Amino acid sequence: MSTNSVASRLQKARKGVGVAGPGPAARKPASRRKWRLSARAWTLIAFAVPSIVLLLLINLYPVIYAGIQSVRNGTLISAGSFVGFSNYRHILSDPTFWHSALFTVIFTVTGVFGSWLVGLGLAVLLRTRIPLAGLFKVLLLLPWIVPVVVSATSWNWLVATPQSPLPKLTHALGMGDVLFLANPTWAKITVCVFKVWISFPFMMMMMSSALASVDNTVYEAAKVDGASSWQAFSQITMPLISRSTYISWILMTIFCVNDFPTIFLLTGGGPVNSTTSLVVLAYRTVFQDFQTGPGVAIAFVMTLVLVVISVVLYRQIRKANVE
Amino acid sequence: MSIAANLRQPATVSDTAKPTGTTSGNAGKWWRFALVLVITAVALVPIGAVVVLSLRPALGSTSTAAVTLQNFRDVFSQTGVKTWLGNSLAITLITVLIAVTVAAPAGYVLSRARNRLVSGYSLILFIVQSLPIVTAVIPLFILFSKIGLVDNLAGVTIIYVGSEISVAIWMMAAYYNSIPIALEEAAWMDGSSVFGGFLRVVLRNSLPGVLSTAIFSFLLAWNDYLIAVVFLRSDPNYTLPVGLETFFQQNATNWGLVMAVAVIMMLPPIIIFSVLNRYFSVGGIGGSLAGK
Amino acid sequence: MASQPTNAAITRRGFIGLTGGVAGAALLAACGSGGSGSNSNSLKFWNMPWGNTAFNPLDKKITLAYKPTGGMAKATYQEIQWANFTQTFSSAVASNTGPAVSSGGGTQAFQFESQGKIAYADNLLDSWKKNGIYDDFLPGLLDAMKVKKGYAAVPYNLDMRVLWYNKTLMQEAGAEVPTDWQSYMNACAALKKKGIYGYGTGAGAGAFTGGHILVSWMINNGGGLFDADQKPNCVTKENIEAINFVLELVKKKYVDPASPTYTSANVQSQWKAKKFGMGFDTGGLADNVGGAVGPDLLVGTPLTGPSGKKGMLYFPNNIMMYKNTPSQKDSEAFLTYYFKNMTPLWTKSTGIGLPPLKSITQTKEFQASANNVKIINEWQPIAHTWAAPGGEALFLNVTQVDGTPAMDTFTQSILGGHTDAKSALTTLQNTIKSKMTS
Repeated sequence: MSTNSVASRLQKARKGVGVAGPGPAARKPASRRKWRLSARAWTLIAFAVPSIVLLLLINLYPVIYAGIQSVRNGTLISAGSFVGFSNYRHILSDPTFWHSALFTVIFTVTGVFGSWLVGLGLAVLLRTRIPLAGLFKVLLLLPWIVPVVVSATSWNWLVATPQSPLPKLTHALGMGDVLFLANPTWAKITVCVFKVWISFPFMMMMMSSALASVDNTVYEAAKVDGASSWQAFSQITMPLISRSTYISWILMTIFCVNDFPTIFLLTGGGPVNSTTSLVVLAYRTVFQDFQTGPGVAIAFVMTLVLVVISVVLYRQIRKANVE
Repeated sequence: MSIAANLRQPATVSDTAKPTGTTSGNAGKWWRFALVLVITAVALVPIGAVVVLSLRPALGSTSTAAVTLQNFRDVFSQTGVKTWLGNSLAITLITVLIAVTVAAPAGYVLSRARNRLVSGYSLILFIVQSLPIVTAVIPLFILFSKIGLVDNLAGVTIIYVGSEISVAIWMMAAYYNSIPIALEEAAWMDGSSVFGGFLRVVLRNSLPGVLSTAIFSFLLAWNDYLIAVVFLRSDPNYTLPVGLETFFQQNATNWGLVMAVAVIMMLPPIIIFSVLNRYFSVGGIGGSLAGK
Repeated sequence: MASQPTNAAITRRGFIGLTGGVAGAALLAACGSGGSGSNSNSLKFWNMPWGNTAFNPLDKKITLAYKPTGGMAKATYQEIQWANFTQTFSSAVASNTGPAVSSGGGTQAFQFESQGKIAYADNLLDSWKKNGIYDDFLPGLLDAMKVKKGYAAVPYNLDMRVLWYNKTLMQEAGAEVPTDWQSYMNACAALKKKGIYGYGTGAGAGAFTGGHILVSWMINNGGGLFDADQKPNCVTKENIEAINFVLELVKKKYVDPASPTYTSANVQSQWKAKKFGMGFDTGGLADNVGGAVGPDLLVGTPLTGPSGKKGMLYFPNNIMMYKNTPSQKDSEAFLTYYFKNMTPLWTKSTGIGLPPLKSITQTKEFQASANNVKIINEWQPIAHTWAAPGGEALFLNVTQVDGTPAMDTFTQSILGGHTDAKSALTTLQNTIKSKMTS
C-alpha cells in the first residue's frame, strides 16, 4: 500500500470517529451525521469508556469535591458550611503563600532545566559507542527507580550534620562548614539538586528516544558542508529534537509543581518555611493545621494555574504540529 | 573530542555500524567512558549508602563485624516482611494488568481517531495528569469508606490504576502511532472488525509498547506510599512502604532494619529494569501528547 | 505518585481537629459495615507501638491472657501504626467500627470527648480507689485527664523532656553539671572551648522536640503558652525572658547551627559523634543513642530559672474508653485487668515511656536504671502539660501548638537566631489565635 493512501486515510481519520476506518459505512456520507454512529465508532467508544469511568471516579470527582471544600469551613471528615471566598482571601493575603509560590517557581525552573541538561548530556554521551553503555543506562535509571522514601533518608544521611560525608568534604576542601539543610539558601539549593538527581533519568530517557529518532544521514551532509560539531548539534540536532524537548519540559513542570515527597521528606519545608512549596503548604495546612478549607484552596489555586498553563502550552504544541 | 563525531554514530550502542571518520575516535571513546563512569559513580552514592547501611550491624547489636546479613535475617524472621512483599507484588501486578487492559484500547482511540470528542478526551487526560494527588486522598477516602474499600487491597489497586491511567494511555497511543495504519486496513479489507483488527494486528505488534506501559505502571504502584499509608490499616494488608513504618517506633528507629527493607524494596524494580530495559521507553509520551 | 513521610513523631501527639465531627460522623456512620464492637462478644483493644519491636508482642500476650469471669467479653488486640493514625481513629470511631478501649495520641481523648464519643472513667477510677490502683498513680497525673464532665482517660505512660549530659565530655571540658540558668550558660561556655555544643536539640522534619524544649524554657521560668481560660497568652515577661536566654545561647554558638533542620536521627547521631555535651530530650535518649556513648549519658537535675521556679514540659499519654463498646462494665473490667498486669511492659525493657504507677517505679528492674529513677524522682514532680501556666488539664486547642507549622516556624527562627523574642512570640500567639477562631 502506498504511503499516499495511508496519508489520505489519516486525513480522513482526523475528521471524525465515524470515519476512523475505511469500512463501507465510512464511505457513505450519511454515516457522517452526528446521531448515526457506525459499528466502528461504537467500538472506539467502548474502547474509551473504561478509562473515562476511571478518570471520573478517581481523578475528577476528588477535584470537584476539593473545589467545593475550598469555599466551605469543613474539616477532614465533615462538610462544614458555605463561607464564600474567605478561604481564598485568607490564603492570598498570607505572605507565606507568596513565599511558597516563589519557591515553587524556583524549584520547578531548576528542576526542569537542571534535569534536562544532565539528561540530555548523558543521552548524547550514551548514544556514542562506549564500553558498558548498556550497564550505565540501567545504573543511571536508579535514582528515578528507587522509592523517594529511601533516597530522602539516604540524602539526609549524606548532608544533614557537620559529621555527614558531604559537609566533611566541603570542610576538607576549605569551603568552610556548609549548612546544607539548616541555612535557608543552602536548603533551597540542596532540595533543588535532590530534585535534579531524582529527575534526570527521566529526561535522559526522553532525550535518548528523541535522539534515536534523528536520522544520522543529516550529519553526514552537515559534515560535507564543513559544520563544526557544536554547529551540528545546536543547528541540526536541537531543532530536530525541539518538540520532544518542549514536551519533556511541560511534563517535568507538572511533575515538579506537584512534587511533595522530595521536599517534605528532606526538609519538611524548613528552615522557617524557606523550602515550603505550594503543595507542601497545602499538605501542612490540611494535615498539620487541620484547616481543610484554606489547605484545599491553596491546592486549588495551584491546580488552576497549572491547568491554565498546561492547556495553553498544550494548544501551542498541537498548533505547532498542525503547521 | 567532538560532539559531532559522537552524533554521527549509530543511534543505539548495540548497532554494529562503525564510527566514521575520526582519528580521535578511540581515545575519545575512553574519555567519554571515564566521564560517564564518574557521573554514574557520583549519582549512585546515595543508593550505595543505603546498601552499605543495610549491611551494618543493627542498633544495640554487640556484633563488631563490618558486614553482616543479620538485618536481612531479622526482617524476615521477626517482621511481616514476607506478607508485605506478597501484598506489594499482588497489588502491583494486578494494577499493571488492569492498567494495560484499560489503556491498550483507550490508547488506540487516541492514536487513530481524530475529532472534537477525542480532542476533548485527550485534553482531559492532560489536565488529570497535572492534578496533585495530595488533595485527592481525602475525597477518595470518604467515598471508599462508604463502599467498604478502605483497608482493602482492591481499593488501593483501583486508585493506582486511576492515577496512572492517563500516562499509560499516552504510552500506548505513542506506540500505536509507530504502527502503520496500512496493516489494519489490510485486515479490514479481509473483513475483520475494528476490534478484530485491533486485537490481531495492532496489539500483536505492540509488545514493546505494552511492556513499556506495564513497567511504568509497575514503578508507580510499587513506589507509592501516600495512598497505601492512608488506605491500608491492618498488618495483613500492609504493603512494603507501609510495613516499613512499623520500624519507626516511638523513640528509636532501627536503621539497619529500615535499610534492609529499603534494599528489598529496590530489588524488584531493579531486576525488572535490568531484564526489560531495552523495551522501556518514555520518549513516545510526547508524540501522543502532541498529536502526531 | 506522592509519598509522605512518617516519622512516628510527626503525628504522635497531635490529633486531627474534628470540630465539625457530627456531620462527618453521620456521613461515615452511613457506611458502618456492622463490624462494630457492640454486636460481638469481644472487646476491641487498640494499642500503639510505644516501644521497640518487643513491645507489641508482649502487650498482645498480656491482652490475650485476659480471662474474664461471669460471661464478660474477651479482648482482641490490634496494633495501630503511628503513620496517619489520626485518620485511622477518626474514621473508625465516626463509623462505629472503632475500638472499645485504646491508647493513641496524647490529646486524642479530648478530641473525642468533645464529640461525645468517650466513656468517662469516673466510675472506673472510683472502683480503683478501692483496689489501690488510684493511689498508685504518680502525683498530678490524673489531674491532666480531668475535663468538665469527668475523666476523659487514664494515664498510661509518660513522655518526659529532661536535661541530659555526657559525663565524659563534661569532665574533659572541666564543666560543672548545671543547676540553674547561669551555671548552664557557664557549662556551655566550657564545652564550647572543646568544640562541643551545650544545647543539643533538633527542629527538622518530624522533630518536634526542639519546640517542646522552647516551651519548657518558658515553663521553667513560670511561663507557658495558655492562660487559665485556656486562651493563648504567649507574650509575657516570663516567656520573653526565657526566649531571650535561648537567643543568647544561639548567639554564643552553644547551639549547633544546623539544628533547626535536625531530625531525631540527626540529633542522636550528634550525641553519638560526641558533638553534643548537653541537651534536652526524651527520657529514652541514652537507650536510643546506645553504643559507646549511651552509657555516658546521664540525666541532670531540673534547672532553677531566674524567677526561682523549676518546670518542664511533659506528655501524659493515656488510655481511653469509648461509648461504642459491648458494655461499659466490660471495658472497665478489662482496663482493671490490664493495669494490674501491665508491669512487664516496663520491667522487660520494651522501650515504652515512663510508667504512671508508683509500684512499677519501685520494681528492682526499674530501680536498676539510675536515669529513670532520677527522672521520676526529680523531673516528674515539676513537670507540666501544654496547659501551663494556666492549668494542668489538657484541652482541644493544644493541638494548635503541638507539632504544627506555626510551632515549627517559631522554633526554627529562634534556633536560627534570626528574630527577637517579642516579635517571635507575638507571631506565634497571633497564629494560634487565628487557628482557634477559624
